[in-house]
Amino acid sequence: MNYADVVACAPITVPYVRRSDKSAAWWLGTALRHLLDTSGLAKGQIDGLCLSSFTLAPDGPAPFAQYIGLSPRVLEFLPYGGACGIIALRRAARAVQCGDADIVACIAGDTNGANTFHDLVAQFSTFSRDYVWPYGAGGPNQSFALLTDHAMRHTGVTRADFGKLCVAQRQWAQRNPLALLRGDLTLDDYLSARPVALPLRLYDCVMPCAGADAFLVMHRAHAESLGLPHVRILATIERHNAYPDDPIQYRGGWAMDAPTLWHHAAIGPADIDVIQTYDDYPVISMLQFEDLGFCAKDSGADFIRNNEFGPGGSRPHNTGGGQLSGGQAGAAGGFLGLVEAMRQLTNQAGAHQVPNTRHALVSGFGMINYDRGLCTATAVLAA
Amino acid sequence: MTSILQLQRCTTCGKIQYPPRELCSACLTDTLEWTAAPATGTVLAITELHHTHEPSFYTQQPITVALVHLDSGPTVVCFIDALCAAGDRVHIAASIDTAGRAVLTAAAQPPAAAVAQSQ
Repeated sequence: MNYADVVACAPITVPYVRRSDKSAAWWLGTALRHLLDTSGLAKGQIDGLCLSSFTLAPDGPAPFAQYIGLSPRVLEFLPYGGACGIIALRRAARAVQCGDADIVACIAGDTNGANTFHDLVAQFSTFSRDYVWPYGAGGPNQSFALLTDHAMRHTGVTRADFGKLCVAQRQWAQRNPLALLRGDLTLDDYLSARPVALPLRLYDCVMPCAGADAFLVMHRAHAESLGLPHVRILATIERHNAYPDDPIQYRGGWAMDAPTLWHHAAIGPADIDVIQTYDDYPVISMLQFEDLGFCAKDSGADFIRNNEFGPGGSRPHNTGGGQLSGGQAGAAGGFLGLVEAMRQLTNQAGAHQVPNTRHALVSGFGMINYDRGLCTATAVLAA
Repeated sequence: MTSILQLQRCTTCGKIQYPPRELCSACLTDTLEWTAAPATGTVLAITELHHTHEPSFYTQQPITVALVHLDSGPTVVCFIDALCAAGDRVHIAASIDTAGRAVLTAAAQPPAAAVAQSQ
């Protein structure tokens, strides 16, 4: 079922910082204030809230509503990590479409104190705590190193291919004042960086930080009356724990649902003007290219070699710099590509605007648990 | 000569699972037993860790860790002998680490202790 006249609008980012002594509630609440400032809405007009945060605990969504003095009639907490943005969009759009809420604020954010990331990784889940952490406590770097090693052996993708993606994203980041990492990055820098979890080196690994991203979902007429540029939702997919019998993850839930996505979107990969993949590590971007139909399975390396992904390239990709150059603000990493796609489609991307963007694909990947990522989601959006 | 590894087996449907849990992930019954599964498998992927979040590992780096697909079905995260490579056939042995946790290690040969035990 399509999303009729429901739209997404008002993409905002509370600028990321490497370390923060503020709480997650501060980051999330500040994001809501930015949404109100951007939209001209009063707080009381927000009657739906979709929240994602790793560091809000022990508070959940209802205590947070009390914390910020909001009385929503739809309240969702979406602990799906890198898939949370698209899932928030899905939940919010259906709530508005069905009349359960009029205006839904979707917000994700996390703080990053001195020990935040360590504590989060050490206690991420029972499987990860008891059956991964004792093996060197490498965290997500370790899990993605294993998936990267496997992909390199089985598809022929090389570190230079991954480096091409990382360097292109840095070129975008240098045009985006919101990106935390904007220094020059060459392919040689990438290839010779210090080892982290081989085959991964420093520039393969996302940098944890603090920050928040948010947007609003409402009927188009409402967005128009507020004068808010907005985007249409052509199609979305979501899947959890796909292919549990694969001995190692070489595909994600996208592969199960991509035909449904493109069928409902009524366009194809060739019609996409900007691709925003979830990129905590570049191997996952390649899996998304393959599983979402931008190229055949196991031909991701050729797709990378045959395209250019930076400014002016054939396949503009992660056009704000992605997480690899922007930073990963916890659950906000699941929103980063979505707010960037909304900016591109509404011609609000400033120095990193891709001209004439009509269609965008945004993809998410979350919850690395035990040996693989469990949550996948994708949206196709239109101007 | 095979080293022995204790894994969870569902007595209702026969599934062998890892990590262990209180229910069978296939049929959802709790009719689980510990069984001596063949501790052999194939290395799917290897990483060499040069960064750790845990100070107790600082002096042990680099640490080699693998995903091994056991012949009995599950995939395990384990330490691995640095001489092993992806695609190799390996034996898995369990031991207790300095924090008192049971950990698995893969090597080309079964450990001497396990060989002695099975003789």
